Amino acid sequence: MSTATPSTVRELPPSTWGRVRQSRRVADKAMRIITASFTMIAIFVLFWILGMLIVKGIGGLSVATFTQTMPGPGSEGGGLANAIVGSIILTFLGIVVATPIGVLAGTYLAEYGKGSKLADLIRFINDILLSAPSILIGLFVYVILVEPLGGYSGWAGGVALGIIAIPVIVRTTEDMLRLVPGPLREAGSALGAPTSIVITSITWKAAKAGMVTGILLALARIAGETAPLIFTALNNSFWFSPSLLGGVSNLPVTIYQFASAPYENWQQLAWAGSLIITMSILVLSIIARRIVRGAK
Amino acid sequence: MLSTLELSPQTLDVDAPVRIKVKNLDFYYGEHKALKNINLDFRDRHVTALIGPSGCGKSTLLRIFNRIYSLYPEQKATGEVMLDGRNVISNDVDVNELRSRIGMVFQKPTPFPMSIYDNVAFGIRLYEKPPKSELDDRVEGALRRAALWDEVKDKLKTSGMGLSGGQQQRLCIARTIAQKPEVILFDEPTSALDPISTGKIEDLLEQLKTDFTIVIVTHNMQQAARISQYTAFMYLGEVIEFAPTNTIFMNPSKKQTQDYVTGRFG
Repeated sequence: MSTATPSTVRELPPSTWGRVRQSRRVADKAMRIITASFTMIAIFVLFWILGMLIVKGIGGLSVATFTQTMPGPGSEGGGLANAIVGSIILTFLGIVVATPIGVLAGTYLAEYGKGSKLADLIRFINDILLSAPSILIGLFVYVILVEPLGGYSGWAGGVALGIIAIPVIVRTTEDMLRLVPGPLREAGSALGAPTSIVITSITWKAAKAGMVTGILLALARIAGETAPLIFTALNNSFWFSPSLLGGVSNLPVTIYQFASAPYENWQQLAWAGSLIITMSILVLSIIARRIVRGAK
Repeated sequence: MLSTLELSPQTLDVDAPVRIKVKNLDFYYGEHKALKNINLDFRDRHVTALIGPSGCGKSTLLRIFNRIYSLYPEQKATGEVMLDGRNVISNDVDVNELRSRIGMVFQKPTPFPMSIYDNVAFGIRLYEKPPKSELDDRVEGALRRAALWDEVKDKLKTSGMGLSGGQQQRLCIARTIAQKPEVILFDEPTSALDPISTGKIEDLLEQLKTDFTIVIVTHNMQQAARISQYTAFMYLGEVIEFAPTNTIFMNPSKKQTQDYVTGRFG
């Protein structure tokens, strides 16, 4: 081991402190404050809505809300039981319509449509459908189902909600399948599994949590849709027919009608209905997040 | 460099039949010609190593044997890769049947998102419907063969994703051998593993060659020297030299080979 010092001791380069100008530090800080305050504005509005909903909605909630049907004009009390059950049925129908179509279309785009012009076109149209005004979809279903079949029905409502849910499910399914690493598919193929088996027993399994989350998010999205129902399921103040023919009561249209009515108890029920929908969506979103986190 | 190499002690059987015969093989990624006129013989139940610098085409060559490249429409091979009298790159070969006869283990472990048992049974179930007891035996046998049984025998129903990297790679080997292939392709199987896991996999390869014809791509020259009987040195899409491993490492006939195995480039 040598203790000798190096023959040449080199000087440090001259100090470079003071390169950052004061104005830049100020600009940096200002940017931070501006972005933070605008975030506060966005969050404030959100909490304002939530707060108002909770305060006014809880006032309107009672056991009767869940057990009684909607009150007639001018009559006392009443509830939303028929609207709640109707909404659950319509939303469920929508998801039943949308899930197979959405999952299979998303699978086509992610697994078979790589680099194909057709897939690019479908993806583009799907993105347009994703942001299409929902009232258009209501009108569309009115023209293809309500008019030809001679009346409003829960089936038409379910189809309209399904059409809104499809692009959401297509998109999330494709995104989630794309996250599955390519070598996993190759490993399946390398064992001699045909593409169909690689997809159904490997890729879908690997992406399951994300795909279920996409379906739950689509569910949350259509649970509160109003416009597509106005032209299809309409509404019903009483228990609707089990055949779902004729108007089917539902929360969003009820909220729309009751909120603009002159009766105090109707307005109360509109708030209660809004709170119920919002809380359901919140719970669905939390479950969806949990599933994603559980998968990681 | 040479002095640190442990050369494979086993003698090679020069009379062993050729399992895969590659003749005038070219390969294209779109317009780019990645392999040029490859001619190689892979002997039955021997380990053949493919070595060479990154991008030389060794993984590309490996991916031709089981036609995994044909998952990608822009990739194309021309020439002959003969397995039991049939050219595997011709269109009349059923790729899935071919792949059940030529297994592959990848660089990164690829356990499927299912239980350890189902991972191993996956390949068997694709082509056979054995009764439950026989399936159990085959799964156990494959896991034993892959030196994984003792570590997983009490948790066969748990996910294969929960194993360590080295265990996952042995699970993938078990999954491959459970299907009873004739050839197993290893694409840098230890490059993502720690030294202890690497040692276990190398021991495993040593034992597997009594039953399987093995082709292994490796960046690690000591590994090639330790486990293979034949070595092909590739460079820029061509086979520069192909010979018994001892010859490649001790007495190569080409200067490029000499430079590569002594660490002068690559």
